[in-house]
Amino acid sequence: MGVIESLLLGFKVVLDPTNILFCFIGVVIGTLVGVLPGIGPVGAMALLLPATFKASPESSIIMLAGIYYGAMYGGSTTSILVNIPGEAASVVTCLDGYQMARQGRAGPALGIAAIGSFIAGTLSVVGVMLVANPLAEAALRFGPPEYFALMCSGLVILTYLAQGSVLKALMMALVGLLLGSVGLDIITGLPRFTFGVNELTDGVGIIPLAVGLFGISEVLINVEKTLETEILRTEITNVWPSLKDWAAAKWAVLRGSIIGFFLGTLPGGGAILSSFVSYAVEKKISKHPEQFGKGAIEGVAAPESANNAAAGGSLIPLLSLGIPPNVVMAMLFSALIIHGIQPGPLLIKNNPNLFWGLVASMYVGNALLLLLNLPLVGMWVQVLKVPSRVLFPLILLFCLIGAYSVNNLIFDLYLMIFFGGLGYLMRKFGYEAAPLVLAFVIGPVLEQALRQSLLISAGSLLIFVTRPISAVALGIAFLLLLSNLLPYFKKYRAEYEGFEE
Amino acid sequence: MKILDRGSSLLWLLFSLYAGIESFRLGIGTPTNPGMGFTAFGASGLLGILSFILFWQSMVRKGEATAPPVFSGSSWSKVVLVLIAILLYAFVMPGVGYLLGTFLLMSFLFWILSPGRVWRVLAYSFLTTTITYYVFAKLLNAQLPEGLLRF
Repeated sequence: MGVIESLLLGFKVVLDPTNILFCFIGVVIGTLVGVLPGIGPVGAMALLLPATFKASPESSIIMLAGIYYGAMYGGSTTSILVNIPGEAASVVTCLDGYQMARQGRAGPALGIAAIGSFIAGTLSVVGVMLVANPLAEAALRFGPPEYFALMCSGLVILTYLAQGSVLKALMMALVGLLLGSVGLDIITGLPRFTFGVNELTDGVGIIPLAVGLFGISEVLINVEKTLETEILRTEITNVWPSLKDWAAAKWAVLRGSIIGFFLGTLPGGGAILSSFVSYAVEKKISKHPEQFGKGAIEGVAAPESANNAAAGGSLIPLLSLGIPPNVVMAMLFSALIIHGIQPGPLLIKNNPNLFWGLVASMYVGNALLLLLNLPLVGMWVQVLKVPSRVLFPLILLFCLIGAYSVNNLIFDLYLMIFFGGLGYLMRKFGYEAAPLVLAFVIGPVLEQALRQSLLISAGSLLIFVTRPISAVALGIAFLLLLSNLLPYFKKYRAEYEGFEE
Repeated sequence: MKILDRGSSLLWLLFSLYAGIESFRLGIGTPTNPGMGFTAFGASGLLGILSFILFWQSMVRKGEATAPPVFSGSSWSKVVLVLIAILLYAFVMPGVGYLLGTFLLMSFLFWILSPGRVWRVLAYSFLTTTITYYVFAKLLNAQLPEGLLRF
């Protein structure tokens, strides 16, 4: 089947009334969690995963993906109007978006964010369509060593890009691997680390873990502050950018789309990194860099386009290789597994309806989001006025119901509360949850790949360096780890030279 | 952060030691035939090494003689109360049921986050409980505990 026929098949899938309803629900919830500071796309996806159990795999994945790219759209609204990013990928939008709003230009800022997101989202879908299938065919030649090396390098890149300490991020990835090994052993089928608790035989659930670390801990951090957000009182009259705005922003949108798409495909990359890099590139090549931070429209267009393009790009390693490049894709990976679909090179061949349905749903979803975010921007502003004293108890209740309703187990509630408390302390002590969750999800696959590789090579570790793809992937990971040590070497060398003098 | 890192690194070091011992008990096996504890032993060993490096860094790093005020100035007592409340909720919900348990939990949460008029807190809690019950139990067919009220 050619690309056009496959895409037509995808549209046939997505235009089914049930699937289009799930797509709509996904993008609405995504925009909502993007608008509301408190719960991000990972928490929302974990929370809504149980609600998709009775739906078809196509409907579920369409909805969950809609939450992700919908959150990218919604996140800009709070950044522009409140100077508080709705989610991490919109942090950099605050710099110029809020300044534009203060200058009475909230409308064009919201408009360029939505239109830029639409263009970038659509371009990234074209990219997914063209790249995913050939990559999946190439990946059929990958063996366990290649998978092990790619997953290791993904984890290392994610920790390298951590917002805080790389050392702590690496530690969290190892904790995630240990948590992922709880349950039945993949080869012998015997229980391990279950401590006689029957509920742990199936392992630690992804939903109690993710909802606890991302949902409950977020509420606890906000409960501590109990600050009410102040919405900028500005008239949002015209959301369509002027011709002058367009002229200034068009290349920023295109560059943001390209940067976002490619950084999204990298293991460890994603929307957050893309938005920061595209902002930095725009500022560097701009003829008037001094205007950045003071309300430059390019400073809104580039990061908002990049984070949406990255949302599409990061689907490629998940759907073609079966490797989630970031924590959001780890949630989609879990959803596919729960629905009995193995992500990997055979996914496109064995489940064309799901893959092409998802691709087509992103076209439809982006169009829906444009409608939701431009004419209805006033409605989202009203949502921002929901006081936190009402919002946070509600989020907490949804987390509790979400964790309980997966298996109807009170044990899952205890687990979620434990991880909520742990996540709260981790934030306080400067540890990030994203490497932990990603390592937890890919941990069992990584372990299987490692043990299979060792069985193939009769215990020789050389198998990882004699095969080109795994050697390159591990080489990159090693160099990145080594680059963290360079500042220490330089420091000690300077001290040593000072001592000699 | 220096003193906090010292404390947290020691905790992770202890955790890695425990995980390492448990993995060893499960059986590490050999490289030609890796056992059940092979990967976990490697991961806990690496975690132990990294925790030790963090601890060492916190000892030799210059500046910050005292711990920064992580909890001071914030309403951390509310956090503890919220955690206790949801733990109690998980404990009593199977017995008292979703409706009563949730009504009590939400009343407490609304009250603790914004102490105000009692009738407003009770009204918010009643609405939240009944709407979520209708959506999850009736529309989405979630099996929520019935408890004492039997519905």
